[in-house]
Parts: sequence; structure tokens; C-alpha cells
Amino acid sequence: MQADSTLPFDTSGLGPDPGCLGKNDAPLLEVRDLRVTYPGAGGPVSPVNGLSLRISAREVVGLVGDAGSGKSTAALALLGLVRPPGRIAGGQVLLHGRDLLTLPDAELRAIRGRDIGIIVQNPRAALNPMLKIGRQIGTVWRAHNPGSRTEAAAKAVEMLRMVGINDPERRVAAFAHELSGGMAQRALIAMALSSKPRLLIADEPTSGLDVTIQAQFLDQMWQTVQDTGSAMLLVSQELGVIANYCDRVLVLHEGRIVEDAPVRQFFADPQHPYSRDVLRLYRERGAIWPAQVSGPAVIRAEGLTKKFPIRHSASVVHAVDAASLTIAKGEALGLVGESGSGKTTVGRCLVRLLEPTAGRVVFQGRDLTGIAKADLRAMRARVQIVFQDPFDSLNPRWTVQQLLDEPLKLHTALDAAARREKAAAALARVDLPADLLMRKPRGLGAGALQRINIARALICDPDFIVLDEPTSVLAPRARNGLIDLLARLRAELGISFLFISHDLTTVRYLCQRVAVMYLGQIVEEGTVEQVFTDPRHPYSRALLAAHLFPDPTRRRVDHPVPAPLQGEIPSPIDLPAGCYLASRCGHVTDACRVTPQVLTPLGGARAVRCARAVAGQI
Amino acid sequence: MSTSDLPAIAPARPDWLFRFGVAIVAVVTVLALIGPHIGPYSPTLTTPRVAVPPPGLTQIPGLLWGQITGTLPYPPHWFGTDVSGYDVFSRVIAAPRTDLVIALLANGLSLALGVLLGLLAGYFRNAGTELLMRVSDVMQSFPVFISAMVLVALAGRSTANIIIALAFVYTPIYIRLTRAEVMAQTARGFVEAARALGQPELQIALRHVLPNSLTPALIQSSVTIGFAILLTAGLSFVGAGVRPPTPEWGLMISTGANQIILGEWWPSVFPGIAISLTVFGFAVLGNALERRYAGG
Repeated sequence: MQADSTLPFDTSGLGPDPGCLGKNDAPLLEVRDLRVTYPGAGGPVSPVNGLSLRISAREVVGLVGDAGSGKSTAALALLGLVRPPGRIAGGQVLLHGRDLLTLPDAELRAIRGRDIGIIVQNPRAALNPMLKIGRQIGTVWRAHNPGSRTEAAAKAVEMLRMVGINDPERRVAAFAHELSGGMAQRALIAMALSSKPRLLIADEPTSGLDVTIQAQFLDQMWQTVQDTGSAMLLVSQELGVIANYCDRVLVLHEGRIVEDAPVRQFFADPQHPYSRDVLRLYRERGAIWPAQVSGPAVIRAEGLTKKFPIRHSASVVHAVDAASLTIAKGEALGLVGESGSGKTTVGRCLVRLLEPTAGRVVFQGRDLTGIAKADLRAMRARVQIVFQDPFDSLNPRWTVQQLLDEPLKLHTALDAAARREKAAAALARVDLPADLLMRKPRGLGAGALQRINIARALICDPDFIVLDEPTSVLAPRARNGLIDLLARLRAELGISFLFISHDLTTVRYLCQRVAVMYLGQIVEEGTVEQVFTDPRHPYSRALLAAHLFPDPTRRRVDHPVPAPLQGEIPSPIDLPAGCYLASRCGHVTDACRVTPQVLTPLGGARAVRCARAVAGQI
Repeated sequence: MSTSDLPAIAPARPDWLFRFGVAIVAVVTVLALIGPHIGPYSPTLTTPRVAVPPPGLTQIPGLLWGQITGTLPYPPHWFGTDVSGYDVFSRVIAAPRTDLVIALLANGLSLALGVLLGLLAGYFRNAGTELLMRVSDVMQSFPVFISAMVLVALAGRSTANIIIALAFVYTPIYIRLTRAEVMAQTARGFVEAARALGQPELQIALRHVLPNSLTPALIQSSVTIGFAILLTAGLSFVGAGVRPPTPEWGLMISTGANQIILGEWWPSVFPGIAISLTVFGFAVLGNALERRYAGG
């Protein structure tokens, strides 16, 4: 074995390392007491501090942990890599019993990519923008395999086909910017798998991808791992990902493993406080809201349409296409759909941050679309919005006090003392201490910032709030806290919400009704119960099928999954003539392709935009 | 999460260029305050000794000793005297009052005007502000020196006119810098959040966007002050600047230039060194500031 490793080109093509034959119980990878330290202001800090773990062949192991628990640092350190100025301060990384950390650089380089592959978080940043995809994959392959450029090029095509990229002969000539996020991610996985590594490390491989692409991608990666007989370490904060694909779960906390359990046991009986905290929300199931609220409509959109003109062009982007929705007093409506479906645009039109191209928004009986500027400003106290990115939505130069003061100064006649009191009360309402008032946003965590945003939106006691993906950038623990808070505020204040999200688990927890959007149209509407248990529209079905519910007893990989939608989402500039889903739908007929579909009520608060579903044919 | 768990990387190398820049700027500023009063001679009165060369290196200790013991007939001319009998040293250290004051006022004026116009042009993007940008394009397409020279020639040679001319040629730089930053800041979430709270547009521009857009312009200031000093001197050199006998580096170089051919290098070289050091100091300071604070 030692002789082999000094001549890495000799070992290729010999199949599995003979050294590990007959040792199937022996772990593929064993990490002992790994430590990574960085110089810090108050002495060195160790994001990875005494990490020990084992991974066997053919195993998919999930690594979870809060933001800052050292997951990414640990994933890199397994390859002997550390971001400067850090260094590996101790421990062993044994691959087939050989310590990688003591190997000379050249041997370690040969092992990276050949024996251990890594897939990093941001696919676009990981691809070289100057080189064609095929060339990049070929280069990695040639680094570990003897072969000519022509062979490498053929190999690249083969790899791209294996990871499910359509038309790989053409795609090898594409540059990174010509690929969608999902395709770039698949190109990376093709690169990582090109030398059939025995261990694949995937660090949040699907963050930033849409749910349907995420599911397709993870399915593929899981299948590849099964087919090639390698093992996978899947680093993720998403419990849905962990529950559906992993066999075993490791919990990382303060740089070491604090829990190691088979996936079902982890979800059924978490041991560590962090695990319990993260899983709590998913374990409290069941509707906590009255199924339906019948009351006067607080806000109503009728035929809301928004088109964005494209500069220097006659064409327009159809962002929202005649969307109508009603939200009753005290009701929460969830608006779900993939990115580009127009849900954010609907939210912005409702609070008139965007001027709708056509249609009306009626708030408490008043049409907001034709309202005078001064009236609109006064109305802002009653209708509020919380944005997706908490780091961006607070002025970095203002103190929290000033930030909370702004709406009060605009909409109330309170004096400074009364405003300060009110600001402190608003912070208390979102469970933040009053001493934050003197702080500036810099240095606060995403969870705290989003709470400040919510406090700011609530400070003038509005009647209606749009929450635009308020939890999407938060780590699971902070996200759970925020969802708890929103549920409590809903119960206490009786405000109406529009909750825009791609996270179906959260929508199910917080909302009574849900509307599904696709390409600017609402394709299905109903109570959460109706839509989640019995989706009628083919798109809703696909969306729900792709959603990774954190339930290890119904693992996606253990059951046949319904066929995903085919192809790519059509461009919102050049929309299909008939049903927008026709090109991707498995139930398509010729009539679908030419007949525009209408949202048809089915009775009982349900409506669906599919003639075949209405007729009961699917 | 991957970046959040990495410690922030502190700038490790000593910023000695920054310190050097600060030192030069400090000396020039002090000279602008007291320079005209600390020289051995009046900067605007001639002495009977014409075209005296500066003392040789070997004479310096003796002269210093003589100065301390008070045995010299008159204070030494450290940088020599020029063809009219002015003491070059006294004039070199008196000149910052003219040069720096002109540069500071011109920079302040163009900074204020440029930031304001840049804010308008970046925040309210309409036909009017588009026209403003095209006008500033035209202004920027002329070399600053030519523009300033023509402006002073048209308006007349006075300190106020020089300041206005310099402010005029530097304003487009600030408009452009601020406009770009304003456009970036306007796209940020807190601007939309303020709009959602009902804050009027002008208030958003002034209270949210402006404070977050000042950094590039403030950093540019240091560089601009340096170059304004150079431009002031340049204008005097071609005869479109301050009037003699005002102590001013460019003017001194200009008057001394005629005698260089006779071997009298000192009336021009010493103010030349002073200009170089000053411009260099301000530029280095601006550079260091940019590295430290840009994007922060």
C-alpha cells in the first residue's frame, strides 16, 4: 500500500484498494481528536476542537450543527485543508487506516479528488469562470487518471450525462455563467465524482437551490453514491435534507461531535439540547389555528397584474398575471412557489412598494391603487412588510432606538420619552432586551435583526403585514425561535398576515390557507389541510413531492417518488399560449397546450387552475 | 454559515505609508497656520542680498553654531535668496498658507456641491439628472489644467476666482463617485423598508442614503487636496494664479525658472520638492484611507 501511494498513477484501474479487502467492518474514514485553530484577539480559537467520527463504506452520514459550530471548517479539515490563517493543530484523519495529515503534500493532493471528493456550498463561485465546464471536469479527471485530452473530454461528457444534464455534448462547451444554479451544482458533482472517490463530502450542497431542483439533485447524488459504493458526509442545516437522505446523524457543537445516532433515533429521541431545540418545532405537529376564519376581508387583491418592461426592448416580463386573493381579519395566508413565481412581487404590490400594472388592491374597503400620496403615507402605518434579508433591511448607521423611532415619528405625535418607552416595549414584545436600543445593527445575529424588523413593523399596530420569506436566511435554531414568535404574535394581536415562503413546513405551521403560485399565476388555493394532504394541481403536487419533510420514517429514498416535472421553467418573457405548465406536465393533452387555464372554484374555499383536475381526470 | 464561523482577518502589515502620509499632511497643516511667522525673514520683503546660493553642507554646522551664539551679522539664508532678494526658505514655509487654504476651500466647495448633485443624480434618475451627468461628462473631457486656466483667465486673477475654478473642475469627480455609491445604496433593503414605513423620498435620500454614500467622496478628498495644490502651483507657474509677491510654490518655481540656465537652481528646486512631498503625502493618505475604510 505504501509502495502504491508513492506511485499514484500505478494504482488506478486496480479497483478497490486491496488493503481494505475483507475489512468491510473497518471504517472507511476515521477521525480522531481533530483540532483546527485560528489566531484570535484573545488567544487562539478552535472552531474544530477534538472532533472524532467514523464513516463506513456505503454510508450516508449527516453532519448538523448551528451556525458557527464549525461544520464547514471540519469538512475542509478532513481533506487537510484550512482557510488561512488557521492551521490543523492536532489529531488524525485516517482514510483506510492511513493518516492523511502526516502525508507529504504531493500524496495528499493525489488523494484529494481521487479518494475524497468535495462539493462546496456555492457552485458558481467554485467553478472557474474562464474555462469551459468540460475542460474543468477533464482537468480534474486527468489529475488522477492517465489519459489524453480527448479521453478526458469524452469522460466529461459521460460524467455530465451521469449527473442528469440534458444534452451533455453541448453543455461541455458552456461556461459557468451559462449554466443555471442547479446545473452548475451538477457540474460540480460531476467533477467530484469523475474519479469515483470513496468518500464524498458535500457541504450544504443545495443551499440556495429551489426545492424541486434540490430534490432532483440530492436524489441523483444519493443514487450515485449507492451505485459507486462510496460513502457520503452530508453537511447541512436543513433537517428535511438530513431526514430524507442520511443513515446516521452527527451533531456538531462547539467543534466536537455531541451526538451520534441513526437517523430515526435522532428524530424520535434527540439527546443533546441543541438537537432537541432544533427538532422541537417539527415534533409539535397539528393545526393550532382554527381551520378557517370567516370575517370581513382586511385586504383584497383583484386581478393584480405586474409587468416589468425590459430596457431597450419591446418585450416585458410577466411577473404577476391577474392574481386575486383575499385575507380576512386575523387570517394568515401562505403564498408558496419557486423563485421567479412572482410571490414577492405580489407582496410588494399589496403594500404598494410596486405599482401594479393592472388590477386593484382594496384595503379595509379603500382602493389603494388610486390613492393620493399623502393618504398612502398615512396608510403605511396600517400595512407593513418584513423583508427577507435582515442584514440589508436595517440602516447600518442607525441605532436600534433610531430605527424604531422612525415609524413613530412618522405616524404618531408622541414625545421623545413616550417614543423611547414604546421602543423598549416593542423590543420586549419580540423577546429582545432593552439594552439593545443603543446598539447598531452591526454585530447582531440574523435572528435578532429580523426580530428588530418585526418590532419595527408592529410598532404602529398595523392591521396587515406581509412577511416576505422572513426566515429563509436564518439557521434552524434562530428560525424556530422566529416562527414561535410569529405564532405567538398572531395569537395575541389578531393581525392578518401574508406569509411568503418556499418552506412548506413553516407555512403549514403558521398559516390557515395557502395559495400556490407558478409563473405569476395562482394555480391552486385552499386551506393548508386541503392543499397539503390532497393537492389537485399537477404543479402543487410536484412542489409537495419535492419538499423534504423532516420525517425519517417516510424517506424519499425508500419509496418510489412521483416523476418530477420535466425540463426547465419557461421564461416569463415568452409565456406559453395555453397552460403555463403544459411543457412540463405529465398529464398534458393537446387541449392544455392551446387553452389558457382559469382558476376554477371547487367549493369549500378551494380553487384550482387546471381543467383536467376540475373535471376529475387527474 | 461558512463565512460566519471564520475569524475576521485583521490587516497584519504595519501601515507605515499611512503614517508617512499623516506626518506630511500634519507638517503642511502646521505650516499653513504659523508658517509665515516663523521664518527668519518676511516672506514678502526683499533683502539686499540677491541670488545668494544656499550654504554648502560643510558650512551648515558653523552657521548653526553662529545662529545659536548670535554671532552672525544676519540670519542665514538656508535655501538661498532669489534674483529679487527674497529668502527662499521663508517663502517655502510660508506658502502652505496660500496653497493649502486654496486647496482646502476648493475641495470643500466641490465636495459639498458634488455630493449633493451626486445624491440627486443617483437617487432621482430622470431626464434632468441625466442631463446633469452629460454636462459633467463634457466638463471631465477637458484636461483639468486647461479648464482651470481658461476659467481663471476669463474671471480674472484673484484668489477667490482660483478657488471657484478649482472647485468647478473637481466637482464632476465627486458627482460621479457619489452617484455610483448612491445607486448601490438605493438598491439596499433599508431604503425600501423606509419607503414601506411612509418616509418621504427626499427624507430617505438625505437620512438613509446620503450618510451611507459618503465614504468614497471623503476618501477622494485627500487625493483631490493634493492635486489641487499641484494645480494651484501650476496656474501660478503659467501666470494664471496668485499675484506676486504672494508666497506660493508655483510662483516661486516660475520666477526661479528664468535663472536656472545661469546655474541658480535653488529658487525653483526647493519649492518643487515641497510640492512633490505634499502631493505625495495627500495621495498616500487617501490611498491608505481607501484601503482601510472603503466598503466598510
